[in-house]
Amino acid sequence: MKFLPYVLRNVLRNKLRTLFTCMSIAVSLFLLALLYAYIEVQDELGAKSVNYHRIGVVHANGLTFTLPISHVDKVRTMPGVKAAIPLAWFGGVYKDDKLPFAQFATDPQFVMQVFDELTLPDAELRAWQGDRAGCVVGARLAEKKGWKIGDRIPIKGAIYPVDLNLTLIGVYDGPDSSDREMLWFHWTYMDELLKQSRNAAAGAAGTVWVKGESAEVLPEVMRRIDERFASSDAPTRSMTEQAFQQMFTEMVGNVQAFIRNTALAVVFSLVCVAANAMAMSLRERTREVAVLRAIGFSRQLVMSLVLSEAVAIAFLGGALGVIGAKILFGIESVTSTLLPIMPVFYIPWSTTIFLLGVSAVIGLVSGIVPAWRAARLSVVDGLRKVV
Amino acid sequence: MADAALRPLVELRDVSKDYYRDKFRVPVLANTNLDIPRGEFLAIMGPSGSGKSTLLNLVSGLDRATTGTVRVNDVDLGSLSESKLTKWRSETLGFIFQLYNLMPVLTAAENVELPLLLTGLTRRQRAEHVKTALAIVGLSERMDHFPRQLSGGQEQRVAIARAIATDPLMLLADEPTGNLDATAAHEILDLLGQLNEEFGKTIIMVTHDPRAARRAHRILRLEKGQFVHTHADALGAI
Repeated sequence: MKFLPYVLRNVLRNKLRTLFTCMSIAVSLFLLALLYAYIEVQDELGAKSVNYHRIGVVHANGLTFTLPISHVDKVRTMPGVKAAIPLAWFGGVYKDDKLPFAQFATDPQFVMQVFDELTLPDAELRAWQGDRAGCVVGARLAEKKGWKIGDRIPIKGAIYPVDLNLTLIGVYDGPDSSDREMLWFHWTYMDELLKQSRNAAAGAAGTVWVKGESAEVLPEVMRRIDERFASSDAPTRSMTEQAFQQMFTEMVGNVQAFIRNTALAVVFSLVCVAANAMAMSLRERTREVAVLRAIGFSRQLVMSLVLSEAVAIAFLGGALGVIGAKILFGIESVTSTLLPIMPVFYIPWSTTIFLLGVSAVIGLVSGIVPAWRAARLSVVDGLRKVV
Repeated sequence: MADAALRPLVELRDVSKDYYRDKFRVPVLANTNLDIPRGEFLAIMGPSGSGKSTLLNLVSGLDRATTGTVRVNDVDLGSLSESKLTKWRSETLGFIFQLYNLMPVLTAAENVELPLLLTGLTRRQRAEHVKTALAIVGLSERMDHFPRQLSGGQEQRVAIARAIATDPLMLLADEPTGNLDATAAHEILDLLGQLNEEFGKTIIMVTHDPRAARRAHRILRLEKGQFVHTHADALGAI
């Protein structure tokens, strides 16, 4: 600790160089914080979903195939099933939105039983159940769009050749980790429109979501469902909500491996940048290092002083980037503006602490070669050097 | 103990030092013998390349002799490991350089405190030592000044304060006035004289300046790695 003032003074010796080094580390770790947070948030959501005892049932051939609505009633009667609903992705466009929000056709009678961690006032739920052109939206979506109860929400079909003319009946809310950016409307309303336009998609439930009675019954329920429809025209593949989310993420490739490999490349380049800055800094201080050695500073002490300096610079940059990201993405309006496609996003503390550790390691590794060279410096040659 | 006290503080016996430039051996010191008693103020003169700084480096343990023995305060420097030598240096010697070699990022007080950080002294004790050392060199009022805010003479005084902060047995000064104007040089030499007389510090000073050398008790002249004159001869030759 008694050497700390000397280390910190050296950190600030060439302010411009320290600033540039810190900024390169800060910007890179800011981006790494976003990437790692994405992985962590997905994992956390998956882990939390285990508590909700839900099963996602999709067509055995994948998400691009739909299940018939008749599957829903058959699933409801199975032992261990508390509730089941159709959940069909509509994928329409609201006004001139560039990025569509999630719109699902579902069953208002049972949807709040399946997603029972979400809350919708009873009066709004009853009103929605009685209005076929009514819809409910998540609180975050309502806030983002500035919608109030009674507002008209026209949605132009992009996948299906039908348009929805919805009225906002209710706003649901839920825990921070829940998706509060969805719009739900009557499955029967969409189906009527599809039948009127004689579209082949009429009668399709999309996916089926099931609420199990407990965690223990889920494996048995999944087995029963898949067995029941194995010989039908639409065989199923049932999975827990956690597995469903994982499958959804993996549809765009092995994201986690991609992020980790990218992170390794970024860390390597940061080590090079920081090492270069440290080497330049020490080259300018050859005489000073020689003086330290002459007056009795041991090789180990010189080495630890240089390493401390390198760690301080890298940690400063890392803290700036990672804590900056943590604060910035802790503000809901910023998250929804910068990452509109992520219904739930935040920088977990575990990511913050991990990346702060990474920044310290970057400093440590980047300082090894310059520190070793400083410690091995010939005092006689160093004192002779005139910079 | 009495014997040790009577023995010279510095003893060089048949010391040679060779350097190698590529494959060529360059002898710098050849079979040098030297005794420096405790409390002596010794000046070493000689042309560039004569081996003055090499001699200083050998006495300070910054470099090792090719052959022969260097003993300081009854310690054979050749027998010490690198780490022990470093520790010994911090406890025994104070260095004064031609270019002062202060840390530009530290204040005068912090520069003086540097060697004290290697001791077991508390923060308060270190502060006391710093205050005393800066008072001895007459810079009590400049404790919080950075080197860039001091004149050359003042910088060298801070360097001297740093050299004496740990109360070493011996001061090694390599051209301490080489970078100063006549007035500042005079003040620095007065200070070295005071440290020798009042505080009993043994001083070895390498210099090109005959006026500086005259302040010493004894002057040795090195040429091509060997002592060629004693006190009187050296002064006569100047």
